Amino acid sequence: MVKKMDNFLPLIVVFPLIMSIIFSYIYKSKIVRILTFLMALILVVLPFFGTYGTYFFGDHAIALGSTSLTSGIAYVLNPAKNVMVFTLMLIGSLILISATGEKKLNGIFTSLMLMGLASVSAIIMAEDIFNLYVFYEIATITQAGLVIASGTENAYKAAFRYLLIGTMAGSLLLLGIALLLSATGTLNIEDMRNFLANNSATPAIYGGLLMLIIGLGYGGGLPPFHTIKADMYSRARPFVASMLQTYSKFVLIALMIVILKLFGGLPYFNITRGVLIALSIGGMVFGTVMALLQNDYKKLLAYHTISQGGYVAAGLAIGTPLGIVAGIFHGINHAIYKSALFLGAHIVSKAKSSNMAKLGGLLPFMPFVAFMILCAKLATIGIPPLNGFQSKLLLIDAAMKANIPELAIIMILVSIGTFVYMMKAFYLIFLKPCSEEQIEEYKNIKISKYSVFSLAILTVLCILLGIYPDIVVDRIYPFAKDIGINWALNK
Amino acid sequence: MDLQLASFIAAGVLVVVGLYGFFFVDNIIKKVIALSIIENGVNLTLVSMGYREGGYAPIYLPTLKFQLFSTNMAYPLPQALVLTNIVIGASMLAIMLALSVVFYKKYKTLKTSIILKED
Repeated sequence: MVKKMDNFLPLIVVFPLIMSIIFSYIYKSKIVRILTFLMALILVVLPFFGTYGTYFFGDHAIALGSTSLTSGIAYVLNPAKNVMVFTLMLIGSLILISATGEKKLNGIFTSLMLMGLASVSAIIMAEDIFNLYVFYEIATITQAGLVIASGTENAYKAAFRYLLIGTMAGSLLLLGIALLLSATGTLNIEDMRNFLANNSATPAIYGGLLMLIIGLGYGGGLPPFHTIKADMYSRARPFVASMLQTYSKFVLIALMIVILKLFGGLPYFNITRGVLIALSIGGMVFGTVMALLQNDYKKLLAYHTISQGGYVAAGLAIGTPLGIVAGIFHGINHAIYKSALFLGAHIVSKAKSSNMAKLGGLLPFMPFVAFMILCAKLATIGIPPLNGFQSKLLLIDAAMKANIPELAIIMILVSIGTFVYMMKAFYLIFLKPCSEEQIEEYKNIKISKYSVFSLAILTVLCILLGIYPDIVVDRIYPFAKDIGINWALNK
Repeated sequence: MDLQLASFIAAGVLVVVGLYGFFFVDNIIKKVIALSIIENGVNLTLVSMGYREGGYAPIYLPTLKFQLFSTNMAYPLPQALVLTNIVIGASMLAIMLALSVVFYKKYKTLKTSIILKED
């Protein structure tokens, strides 16, 4: 039963949306800079405005036959979703702070960032599937806009490709929603879940599930859409890419949660689970192999994002409470350390190139930054006591408990691959001896203190969540227990 | 033929035609139009779902008897969804067409095989 509660939960979505519209009319760089900094501070406290429970817009229900179904926009906030929204807002805030240190900062950029934050927060909290679709499309447009804001020709091409595929994937997702609506008579996820649990499956429901998976693949960057996402990340400016990958990761988690909530406990979901695990393995392996082949640091990080997306999807696809906790926790961790890596790449790109063959010897010029990038790299590889270790350990444990040791082995092998290319990148950028000319160039590098501040906060978070993973895990577990089912592969 | 069934068939044809255009036509504007056709096919599917033979449009007028209206009106929810989707589709279309103009100015052609070629 969905009921209205008197809280400020909608502010999490509505406030950034309103500010986004206001920012699009501000052109003076100085004013934009001050207001962006203020917005960054407000964003961090915004998730604390909502109290836990369901917020139902309009508070009206329609009666259909003997079943009372709810209709309208509904948001749900629980500790797990609050952690996700807080992480999203914190990263958004740090990226905005970093952006204030840029020479050219216009209102459109901040506007797009805020619109993205509002839409992804809405996707995380949405309890009705159409509202989720609307914000999914807004997030697509926003991400394309942020890439276009990079201003290069290749960025335009990447954004156009993303929009072309996005329009088709969005249409198919809407078709899936239409099929589910026709089969269940409701758009409310909780009501839909009850209907599906008590009625046998029809072709419309199978069709709806298939379309949801297509939407998930596109939104989360799973195969076969992974190359488009990787292209987007590598064409955007690095600090923008850190925001794009955060959006994608949370969209992936949110859509996976919807799929698990609706279908996870049903007998016919087993084949779908296999397909989702296969897609995750595809993402993990492809991302790692492609990252191993790259000479460009931005492209390396882009493919690494695809590989880590595979981990998140694999944990959630297992569908046990432990798997779901591991998937969500890894998604949060990945959003944090990957944002740190992209911010690091943004600072490194001040050396005029992201081609690792043309870099080298940067360590003496930015030792503190190098240390923080190394921390993020070790976190992504899964070295204790950093956050990546904790979530990867949980993922491997979940795979073993579900009796899929092959998946655990692939995860470990992919981690070894990650170690190789991350260490290669660190050596080529910071440790490789460089020429006298390069040293002269490096002396002129101006490192933005705003970027260093953001990077430092993210590094502290990597260490903090590595030492105290319970801060997040304890909040996710009750939610995971509600939507997960305990099962093990019978061989 | 049943009007609802005919609408579903028409929607299916629109989606197939759109998919053909999207995958096999080497023209940036035609690709965008194909996407628009797919979107309209999906919209038609949604509207057809709420169709009721001989039913009322879901707008309550004081001249109608409430009992008669509530049992005979078309399902309004899909129509609300389509309205929202048309707005989203229009904004997507606007951005893609704007980018197409930028590409045309640069390459003097509309061929996607040339415009979207990797450097």
